[in-house]
Amino acid sequence: MTPDDKRREHPDAPWIREVLERYERPLTLYATRLLGDVERARDAVQDTFLRLCNQERMTIEEGIAVWLFTVCRNLCCDVHRKEGRMSQLEDGVADATASATATPDALIETRDNLSRVMETITSLPEKQREVLRLKFQHGLSYKEISRVTQEKIGTVGWLIHEGLKGVREKLAASEVGGLRA
Amino acid sequence: MKEQMNKDWSDDPRITAYALGEMDEAERAAFEEEIRGDEVATALVAELRSLGRELKEEFAGECAPGLSEGHHQRIEAQLTGDSRKSDRSLPLAPWGLALVGVAASAVVAAGMLLAMYSLLGHKTNDLEGTITGALPSSQADEPGKILGGRVIATTGEDGAIGIDFDELYSADADATIEGLPWASTVTIEDGSASYDEFSVTLAHSQHLPEGEVAEVTDLPALKDGQLLFDFSEERIEPRVVMRYSAGLDFGLEARSETRPGSEADWGEADEGNREQYSPIFENAYCLTTQAPLSTFSIDVDTASYANVRRFLDGGSLPPADAVRIEELINYFPYDYENPGSDAPFSVDHEVGACPWEPRHRLVRIGLKGRATHHLERPPSNLVFLVDVSGSMNSPDKLPLLKKALHMLVQQLDARDLISIVVYASAEGVALEPTRCSLGVDIHMALERLSAGGSTNGGAGINLAYEYAMRNFIDGGINRVILATDGDFNVGVTSDGELVRLIEEKAKSGVFLSVLGFGTGNLQDAKMEQLADQGNGNYSYIDSVLEARKVLVEEMGSTLETIAKDVKIQVEFNPVEVKGYRLIGYENRMLAAQDFNDDAVDAGEIGAGHTVTALYEIVPAGAELDVPGVDPLKYQIVTQPSGEAFTGELCNLKLRYKEPDGDTSKLLVFPVTDERKSFEELSADTRWAASVAAFGLVLRDSRYKGTADLAAVSRWAVEAVGEDPGGYRAQFIGLVGKARQLKSR
Repeated sequence: MTPDDKRREHPDAPWIREVLERYERPLTLYATRLLGDVERARDAVQDTFLRLCNQERMTIEEGIAVWLFTVCRNLCCDVHRKEGRMSQLEDGVADATASATATPDALIETRDNLSRVMETITSLPEKQREVLRLKFQHGLSYKEISRVTQEKIGTVGWLIHEGLKGVREKLAASEVGGLRA
Repeated sequence: MKEQMNKDWSDDPRITAYALGEMDEAERAAFEEEIRGDEVATALVAELRSLGRELKEEFAGECAPGLSEGHHQRIEAQLTGDSRKSDRSLPLAPWGLALVGVAASAVVAAGMLLAMYSLLGHKTNDLEGTITGALPSSQADEPGKILGGRVIATTGEDGAIGIDFDELYSADADATIEGLPWASTVTIEDGSASYDEFSVTLAHSQHLPEGEVAEVTDLPALKDGQLLFDFSEERIEPRVVMRYSAGLDFGLEARSETRPGSEADWGEADEGNREQYSPIFENAYCLTTQAPLSTFSIDVDTASYANVRRFLDGGSLPPADAVRIEELINYFPYDYENPGSDAPFSVDHEVGACPWEPRHRLVRIGLKGRATHHLERPPSNLVFLVDVSGSMNSPDKLPLLKKALHMLVQQLDARDLISIVVYASAEGVALEPTRCSLGVDIHMALERLSAGGSTNGGAGINLAYEYAMRNFIDGGINRVILATDGDFNVGVTSDGELVRLIEEKAKSGVFLSVLGFGTGNLQDAKMEQLADQGNGNYSYIDSVLEARKVLVEEMGSTLETIAKDVKIQVEFNPVEVKGYRLIGYENRMLAAQDFNDDAVDAGEIGAGHTVTALYEIVPAGAELDVPGVDPLKYQIVTQPSGEAFTGELCNLKLRYKEPDGDTSKLLVFPVTDERKSFEELSADTRWAASVAAFGLVLRDSRYKGTADLAAVSRWAVEAVGEDPGGYRAQFIGLVGKARQLKSR
């Protein structure tokens, strides 16, 4: 690195590298679930960090997780929109068909060797899956999830409640089915 | 019933929130009190907690991929400020303060332009600036030239900066020309300042056919084909990509080939058109004997006309579904008689030969709303709900929107109250309710609006209606004015939810106006639906002139509703009419029984508005090829009543409610055919027929008969009349453009 390079290095470079190290994998995982494709997810995550470079550290440092997930989610939504998926699949339709058709999330998850709990997760409506992941995989609070997904806190609470209820019911049903079989 | 004991907790999300520790102390204490002794609840809490732990473990076990080496390099390049390491163009050190002077010279047909512009930055990644200059007067009247304006620069997703020229005036579009050559100095104060590659977008969609973006990699008149960027710290001569619309004449030779790698920078431009239109299934002929009643809601929207004009001006024919014939017809003012004192609107009708099918008759129904004098206008409580999402960041969107709202504010005075609510990633209030006597405050608040973020339309709408209701003026104009490109579909709000939300809000007595902006992403269908459900109107604003028409000339009809839920029902006389067809209004059709059902919503009519509807009639005795049905076996055979032999063609009935009323009033007009030829019809009727025929031809309708663009042009020229505002003359020009395009 020449002295010239030194002068030009981003003042917050060490901090950004730290954030990258910490959040690169969770964000890629999150984006992959939203987009159903690791490569496009990586692009979205890369763009998230490029945007981070243009932010004032002071204003976002405290809520950095929420900031990253929000920006990443918006970028994923942009990808969706560009591909015309969101406009074709209204949320209601997507929810109604979530268990019947293989959504990106479901596709990936069926490839893995799934536990019973994870299997039930794939059959939940998309929105419930997303908030459950934000809560239990990424450790965000209701409030933080509400900021990331731009849902009201009450809605987030309801989605998580319904999601867990769905998992419980399906687990119970499969146990009964298992006994009969 | 002991609810406490038997409560089914499975529908109470609080139990999950409690189990997961998402309650604050007070809530928690109250909830613990509530479930004390409830074994079901206690067991459920334990189960939820255990399930939560299980999920956490399962999720933690998932294989999490990281970024690739290439992705890392690009981020690292951003951090070290060395963009050359990356394979995509990235900004240099995007922080700190830098001064940028941009000098560009381009040859216009008449001579040399020297352009220097600069950018004023905001805290966001969007930069804004102004181009000013002085124009040699000899060039002022040459159409199609870029003459000056403001600049908006945006940082693209990959960090490349794009500059959009905002408010590019061509001499024929607007008189407020700053002039040439451009010369001014501007500073980038934003953190993201120095870039080794600039993309200059000179697209003015109004002149630009969809998808036609020409790109020039070297500008002949520029030094070594480059714009000169004078960075304060180190002198860099960046490679410059200049894009400009093919429709604008810079005197530069446009090259259509794409620079390698440019797609990465400007994926947006190469992306397909995302405009969305609902399909229109044209009304078919109905047999009078089988369906004597035709019922529909009036519609005062005009957006389709402005949109069709945008396509034609841009050099392409509009898609059929973008052509809503009733909106074309209703775009024009008609000189119908003013209403008397008994009703808020007058009703006028005329019958004559159908120009595109001489064997058929044309029935024209015309309504004119009572016009109120400027001074008698009731006080208004307007809430501007402005979309400032990223998609609005284009010269024909937010900047035009600001201009339009400035114009509207200028029409208002101390009686009026304005609030501004914005929405993007988060909704917010840009201006608390302010009297229009404090115009400066409002203008400044408008100026401060800048685009960025994604759209959540629902949250903003809630807030806007809340403001409108809080300041509700009894007997006044209470209206939310939604200005957007309609691209709501980021995030969570589905169209269905949004429409239901609006429908709900409309019950509050607050009306809605939707102003549509922009191209390429116009969600036409959604916006029309919102306006229809929200007791409102929908206009498409594609230029400063259109903004003036909608918000200045027709401000009364746009803002002040004089009658609501206006429905029309026509009963055709089987003795005179074999069959009929309503032209347009496809998405405003109602069931016959809806006419008398005051709970059924219908269209609004504004002060001074005119509404026109046309029926094409197949007279009794003429041929009509309609599949029809077999003779019925059990039905009571009815004979025409005595009234049927009066020679009346049809019975025209209208229902409407006063703006704040709940009970409809009925108006009835028998219509007779006075055997007029087409030429004997009034100019207004002939004009409406010409516009309808234009729509039929553009849609390539099976009902267009002998109509073609030459005939449309001929009929229209003879029906221009006085043409206040020059809109009819403009229409004739459009027909000419359509003819050129069709003949290609």
